[in-house]
Amino acid sequence: MTAATVKAPAENPAAKILRVLLTQRIALLAVLIVIVVATFFINDAGGYLTAPYDFDYMSASLINAIPLAMLGLAELLVILSGRGGIDLSVGAIVSLAGMVFGFAYGEWGWPLWLAILATAGFGALLGAVNGFLVSYIGFPALIATLATFYAYKSLAIVINNQQPISTEPIQDLFSLSKSVELPLFGQYVPDVPLGIFTFLLPTAVAVWLLLARTSYGRRLYAIGTNDVAARWSGLPVRDTRFKAYVYAGLISGLVAVVTVGQFASARPDAGVSGNGMALPAITIAVLGGVAITGGIGRVSGVVLATLLIVWLNAGILLAFVGNEGSQYQLLALGAVLVFAALLNGLTNRKYGGSQ
Amino acid sequence: MTAVAEAKIRKRVLPTPVTGQEIVLVGVLVVLWAALAVSTPAFLTAGSIQPLLVATAPIALVGVAMTIVIITGGIDVSVGGAIMVCSVLTAKALVGSEVSLGVAVLLSVAAGGLLGLVNGVLIAYGRVHAIIITFGTANLFMFLGLQIFGSGTVNGIPGTLAFFGRGPDGRTLGVPHAFLITLLITAAAWWYLRHTAGGRHFFAIGGDPQAARLAGVRVQRRVLLAYVLTGLLVGMASCFVIAQGTSTLDQSVGAGKELAVIAAVVIGGTSIMGGRGSVLGTLLGALLVQSVASGVTQLGWRSQLSDLFVGIFIIVAVGADLLRARARRNR
Repeated sequence: MTAATVKAPAENPAAKILRVLLTQRIALLAVLIVIVVATFFINDAGGYLTAPYDFDYMSASLINAIPLAMLGLAELLVILSGRGGIDLSVGAIVSLAGMVFGFAYGEWGWPLWLAILATAGFGALLGAVNGFLVSYIGFPALIATLATFYAYKSLAIVINNQQPISTEPIQDLFSLSKSVELPLFGQYVPDVPLGIFTFLLPTAVAVWLLLARTSYGRRLYAIGTNDVAARWSGLPVRDTRFKAYVYAGLISGLVAVVTVGQFASARPDAGVSGNGMALPAITIAVLGGVAITGGIGRVSGVVLATLLIVWLNAGILLAFVGNEGSQYQLLALGAVLVFAALLNGLTNRKYGGSQ
Repeated sequence: MTAVAEAKIRKRVLPTPVTGQEIVLVGVLVVLWAALAVSTPAFLTAGSIQPLLVATAPIALVGVAMTIVIITGGIDVSVGGAIMVCSVLTAKALVGSEVSLGVAVLLSVAAGGLLGLVNGVLIAYGRVHAIIITFGTANLFMFLGLQIFGSGTVNGIPGTLAFFGRGPDGRTLGVPHAFLITLLITAAAWWYLRHTAGGRHFFAIGGDPQAARLAGVRVQRRVLLAYVLTGLLVGMASCFVIAQGTSTLDQSVGAGKELAVIAAVVIGGTSIMGGRGSVLGTLLGALLVQSVASGVTQLGWRSQLSDLFVGIFIIVAVGADLLRARARRNR
């Protein structure tokens, strides 16, 4: 603290910019987003892309940001809770809760609001299993959520004999993922996917309120930073950590509804096919400046990291022909993550941590 | 201090050769195999046990290295991607240049070692948490693997690697070579970890890296070695993977293997927090997971149901370990 105040006046502008970029993750991400978007605009102007990369395209690609950012926020909550907090099971919860939503809305004909509520509640229940194992029994989070990942994934596939549910009401849900014109000034800006307003923004605002404006949020940061100190200060450490996993499950349940809408079908492997949804979500959280050791991380970082990855991926898809693009997306994701991690290490040594 | 007390302390420096977890696992395996033998008579035949052992080999082999990595307090979630790179590279070499068995193995092991080196350097010298770096390199390895794949699958792989396969060429006196090699490497690793100074250093690092450094352990070099070892064994295991398949290799090779390996290690009683673990347990864990998978199929249940049992086993195995640790503390 004192070192920084003493050093500040002597710093030249270049060193100051470097320090801000390294210690303020938000600033770094904002700069990276500008660089990525500018690069693709220039490439687009030069005619190197297979389709135009413009504001309409960027806006439409936000559809991919919805599940990614929401699960990134779920990981934010559990990683913040400290003691190696991590949730490998979010993708499996998306699969299993999605099947439950498929049954409730597609087969049993529940009203939509009730089905969504039930799915979110079911997700919270699955998260509560994680939270109970981690917080009350004392399982390392990596192990507990690895176990439940296997269990939920298996149940999701077995529950309906490997078959997806795509009855009429489920197929009609596809309208949830269409793009809409904004009111008032809508004709001047591109149409935005509806899910941004119905799912992503409410979740992001709710998590932000939870972390920044409630005593629960302060407790979560406290136990993540030092849970022994938190216990001696009389904080309910177990209860706080338990709830972080419950909230993560709840958000995963909501993502299940989004995913069913996007696929127009409740697929038993929705959240675990290929690399699954957990790994990208953890990547987003880490890229967004969430410290894997707990106690450090912000909603804005996660949201900006999502925008960076989504717009980067969208551009890569246009820069290559065929499935080459999806392969280069892996390269980009891996390179960005390793880069961010090394940067974190550097920042820790040079400035004693980032914000 | 009396001589007797001193002898007692010296004895306690090394952990018991076989841990409680391992004895329990052997018991569970015996019960499981007995139950399967009763319910499906075909289970306890060579035709069923041999493929089971062959299928266990790659998971157990990578598990041996993963055990060492986890003992140091790290983790490697990139082994699935690394298996993909090694196996597609080797398969292409087998198809394109018709290399011999020895060259294929060397190529695969060398490629694996190189990938392990990348992880090791980043983790040991970049001083970043292993799980994050290996999440990153997992993506990079998958990119690399898919690039080598080009479009679609590798077809017409010759039977050069049949020595490690399921067929009659793959066993001596009825024991599959792949399993035999895994057994030998596990035994070597067990001895190395228990009876050499270098092996004990891994435990020291996992217990407390600062204390290990002050005690003269070259922490960074040891950590680097753990990841390189993982890469080398991934290379070997990739040869088993190719040999187990048909003459076609598709792009899903290696997918999800990292979690299967970690599951085997954890069921085997290795603590994810580092500092404690055993490769014998990992071998038994891998055998248990594979036995369940095989049993579920032979009982005619859905094969995906075996994942549910894997999850339950992890909870039970680690839960029992936690309870034992709690009992030790309270005594």
